[in-house]
Amino acid sequence: MNETNPTGPLIPPQIPTRPARLPLGENPEERQPIPNVLAAAEAMLRQPRRVMYQLQQPGSGRLIAAMLLLVVLCAAIYGVVVGTFSYGTQLWAAPVKIAGGLLVSALICLPSLYIFTCLSGSQARLVEVFGLVTGLLLLTTILLIGFAPVAWLFSQSTNSLAWMGTLHLVFWGIATVFGLRFLETGFSHSKARSSAGLNTWVVIFVLVVLQMSTALRPIVGTADTFFPTEKKFFVTHWGDALKSPNDKSRD
Amino acid sequence: MNASSASVGRPDFRTLLQGRADALRPWTQPGHLRATAMNVAVIFLGAGLYGAAMGWWREPLQGFYVAIKFPLVILLTTLGNALLNAMLAPLLGLNINFRQSLLAILMSFAIAAAILGAFSPLAAFVVWNAPAMTPDVKSTLTYGVIKLLHVAVIAFAGIAGTVRLFQLLTQLGGSQAVARRVVFAWLAGNLFLGSQLTWIARPFIGSPQLPVVFLRDTAFQGNFYENIFQTLQHFLQPD
Repeated sequence: MNETNPTGPLIPPQIPTRPARLPLGENPEERQPIPNVLAAAEAMLRQPRRVMYQLQQPGSGRLIAAMLLLVVLCAAIYGVVVGTFSYGTQLWAAPVKIAGGLLVSALICLPSLYIFTCLSGSQARLVEVFGLVTGLLLLTTILLIGFAPVAWLFSQSTNSLAWMGTLHLVFWGIATVFGLRFLETGFSHSKARSSAGLNTWVVIFVLVVLQMSTALRPIVGTADTFFPTEKKFFVTHWGDALKSPNDKSRD
Repeated sequence: MNASSASVGRPDFRTLLQGRADALRPWTQPGHLRATAMNVAVIFLGAGLYGAAMGWWREPLQGFYVAIKFPLVILLTTLGNALLNAMLAPLLGLNINFRQSLLAILMSFAIAAAILGAFSPLAAFVVWNAPAMTPDVKSTLTYGVIKLLHVAVIAFAGIAGTVRLFQLLTQLGGSQAVARRVVFAWLAGNLFLGSQLTWIARPFIGSPQLPVVFLRDTAFQGNFYENIFQTLQHFLQPD
């Protein structure tokens, strides 16, 4: 009698585990330099690890400069689309305010991010942190370009300032989620012990950008002055915008 | 070479409807202009025929207009979201390029349009049996039944197209979880834009009180979601 168990030994099935996070640069493709602005945009979408690796290399300043240039360009293009809701001066004012507002928000938040990363034990240098924030802005603005045709269609179809403001905020929110994911992934390769500091910074960054959008109003509608004459907290401004009648000529 | 392997990659209507992911995959590669042209033709023909049946109840001219508008809504949705969809795919884990994402979506719409085209004689038969439109048509049972029929057929076609798209993306990316994420994101975007384009392109069924037009004068006034919001507000605060 053959006593061999035909079904083999009873070994419980292996539960698939997530593959361990490979160090940056492990894949030879990630070590290829990013030659120009277009390659940077492509790499942000398809090979974000390549961008992260290049940001850690000496002389990453050129890449960061190229990325910043692209941020300004993409933000300006989306700004023009935002401006088509009111036309007139908003066609140039909205791009200037969106591009400028994003850059200034990032600059305001950069020192706190660097401090948080140091406190969490990260080995990242200031230039790397700056590069990661630039990556966050770049991915956000590239995605906003993807949303631009939809935003344009809606801006031609409605007079409601509240509706358009909400739509732009939703688009910015979705794009920012992807941008922050890039930042968090980059941060996870900097040997930090905890991500609590980064999570706190994310909240700060989002609040700063939202307040910036109020401080630079009108971005969607129009007003007599380039900057607002009255200071407001962004929640108050949203409440006022929702109460006001549908009108393109209000901020 | 057997017949089956010969048909792989060759653009024909039967392969499209069978939706075999392995056979459809080569259609998303460069050099398949014929497949792209066929997808566009199927969208124009299938959605056009169904649109004609939809608008015919109001007047034959309305049917003609809807036969043009319905395929245009589908193609403009595909093109309007093409860039966004191509960006979302790699970010959600599916490393396909712009062309592949565009053609995959076009293909799923072509499948949906083929189903719509197949249902168009049925829709036309129902409309032919319906009494002529009267000013109070919107409060009649016939109107409700016809509207429900259109919703059911369009939903069925959309679901069938989406299932095929999911299978194709699973084949392209090798993971069901990734394909599910991408299909969900694409669907959300296409539904959002498609609803607004449909709103702009109204009327589809038409109304006897209003003239037969290609686009209403108010086409670009208000949007689909504002309208839903106002309707909800009306229900919640009737005063």
